[in-house]
Formats: sequence, structure tokens, C-alpha cells
Amino acid sequence: MSWNFETEHFFIRLPVSDEDGAALFKLLSKNSTVAHIPRLPMTVEAQALDELRRIAMRFETREAAFWLIERKSDGDVIARIGIQYINWMMLNAQMQWELSDRCGLEELQEVLPVIVNYLSQDLHLHRLEMRLRAGSDGQSKLLTALGFSCEGTLPSQQEFEGEDIDLDVYSLLTGELKA
Amino acid sequence: MKFTPELEIPGGCIKPLQYDDIDGLFELYKHPEIPGQRPLEDKEQLNRMIDYSVQMAATQRGMMWAIETDGQIKGMVSGFDWQPSNLRIVMRVDGLPALTVEERAGALKAAIGFLSKKYHVRNFAYQWIEGQSDDIKVALSECGFTLAARLRDGWRTGNTEFSDVEQYHWVSSDDKPVPRKLGDDDELGQNLNANKRGES
Repeated sequence: MSWNFETEHFFIRLPVSDEDGAALFKLLSKNSTVAHIPRLPMTVEAQALDELRRIAMRFETREAAFWLIERKSDGDVIARIGIQYINWMMLNAQMQWELSDRCGLEELQEVLPVIVNYLSQDLHLHRLEMRLRAGSDGQSKLLTALGFSCEGTLPSQQEFEGEDIDLDVYSLLTGELKA
Repeated sequence: MKFTPELEIPGGCIKPLQYDDIDGLFELYKHPEIPGQRPLEDKEQLNRMIDYSVQMAATQRGMMWAIETDGQIKGMVSGFDWQPSNLRIVMRVDGLPALTVEERAGALKAAIGFLSKKYHVRNFAYQWIEGQSDDIKVALSECGFTLAARLRDGWRTGNTEFSDVEQYHWVSSDDKPVPRKLGDDDELGQNLNANKRGES
């Protein structure tokens, strides 16, 4: 069972711990890429190496899987898309993405069906959920265009930089993806 | 060691799970309120659950109380998915048909009051699952909870059947605790016995 895929323009692949540090750091060191989670951007490359090791361990136990989206033409990693908090009893999981400014709706419409089909057909997950910092308009527009539904806002889910953060909840059920 | 206190509610109390109450708890688990949950068949499993309830409280992962009114175990109130760093927890009440809305709300308020005061938990969630009694929502409303989100197909009830989950929240308006350095006070951890002055 392979967890690596490809589309016409992209490789959708699990990261390689000792090779992808620089690419992941480049992606996750920009505030615009992580502000919707919310999370602080990375400041040193060692953080990316730590993250790669952590993600590898979480994948080994099937707690999470994060894919790098690499453009075939130039090898540029334009996004990372993953699932975590997989609940095998309830058949649901939380999705998270970090998108560079080179990854918009068109790119997502090419790569997301492959990931979502794998999750529903092979892993039999029924519900995918994404939580966004309330007010993340750009991200919410992308989710809505892809077929996600907004289900409400969970208050005070975490404290970030001294502020209580509400999270909007979006979900996608089997068969709802628009691509 | 004792981490879960006995607390008064109108007409009775909520109290830590005890091996003496296994018959009452077994009765409760034979009548699950949650859609898709099967009645418990093996009473022995409750021994393990009582062990877990102590471990959960000791490690701040959750807390479980039996609801006792009129001398009878009528339900349980629990906190789970406890996130101490984020000061939040998910609450749940399981009750026999005899548990009234007032008793349900009273148990929930007592548990929330304790978690709020002792552990500074500020954000309490409750997940009502489609198919459960609307009376539960009345009790939630009485406790100040409001609907935050409706999670579509958030609860699996069969192989391919799902129910929606309504997630309610109550967020305390109390000030957040100010972090202190270890050793600045005489708070000896969260062990209720050890915290009594003059005892260790």
C-alpha cells in the first residue's frame, strides 16, 4: 500500500527526514503559511528537521500523515497537506494544510482529490474536518470552493500570543469534494 | 491518594467511582444513552473503569463522578479530553431514565464548579449526539452552555451510519490564573488529601 501519489503536475509524497528540511523550512517560515492554524513561523532550519522527525514517528503509529506537494517541473514544494487526530472508530480525521503563495484553488483541485479519494476509498474515513483561526477569509474561501461546509465556531480553543483563539470548523463528508 | 472529591448537589451528591457502587454503575451501563453504544454485558469491566477513573484524575486527563440521589446511583458526570494547558475540557453526563433534568444540571454545575475553582479550567464543552433526549439540551441551557457548532456525521452509530453532533460550550469569564514559580506557595500538587494543611 503506497502512500505516495502523483498527478499531472505534482508529486504528492511523504517527506524524507534527512532530505526535506530546507524545503519544509522555506514553506513553514512564512507567517502567511501558518497564521490560519495559528502557529508561529519557523525561525531556524533545525525546527524543520525536528518537525520531520516528529511527523515520521506519528506516521509510524498511524496517528498522522503529512504529504509534501512538490511541483514536477522545478521540484518546488508548494504546500504541505496532512491529516491528524485520526479516529479509526468514528472514521474521521482532522486535515491541516500549509499553502505557499504558489498554491491556490487550481493546484488544490488537482492534488486534493487524490488525497481525499485515498482517505475515503483505502482508509475508509468518512469525515474530514479542518479548523481555522476565525477570520481566516482566504483559507475559508478555498475550503468552501472545494466543497467543505462551515459548521460553526468553537470558542477559546487556545491561547496564542496573549489572545484567546476561536476556531471555525469546516468539514467534508465522503463524496462532497468539488474538483 | 484522592483526586476526585465528593460534592453536594440538590437531593444528593456526586462522588468518586467506588468498587462498592459497581452494581449501580452496571445498571447505568446496561442503559446507554448514547446512540450506537451497546449495553455492557460483563460487570467485571467496571473494576477496570474504576481504576482508570483514578488514573485519569491523577494525570489530569479526565475526572469521573457517580451521581447519587435518593440513595441511588442514577448517573455519571465526567470530564474527558482534558487539555490543562488550554484550560479546557469536554463534559458528559450519562443517566438512567430516573435522572431528572434538575439532577443532571445540578451534577454538571457541581463538577464544573470544582474543575473551574481547583484546576482553573475555563472552557467547558459538551457534545450532544443526534438521537439523545432533548432534555439534555434543557440541562445544558440551564448551566449556561450555548451551541457552537453542529458537526455533521461526527458520531458513528453503525458500520455505515452516523449521527450529527451538536457541540455546546460554556466559557468562564473569570480571570485566568497568573503563573507562579514552583515553591512560591504551599500548594502540594493536586492531591486533595495532601492539600489539607497539616497533612502530608
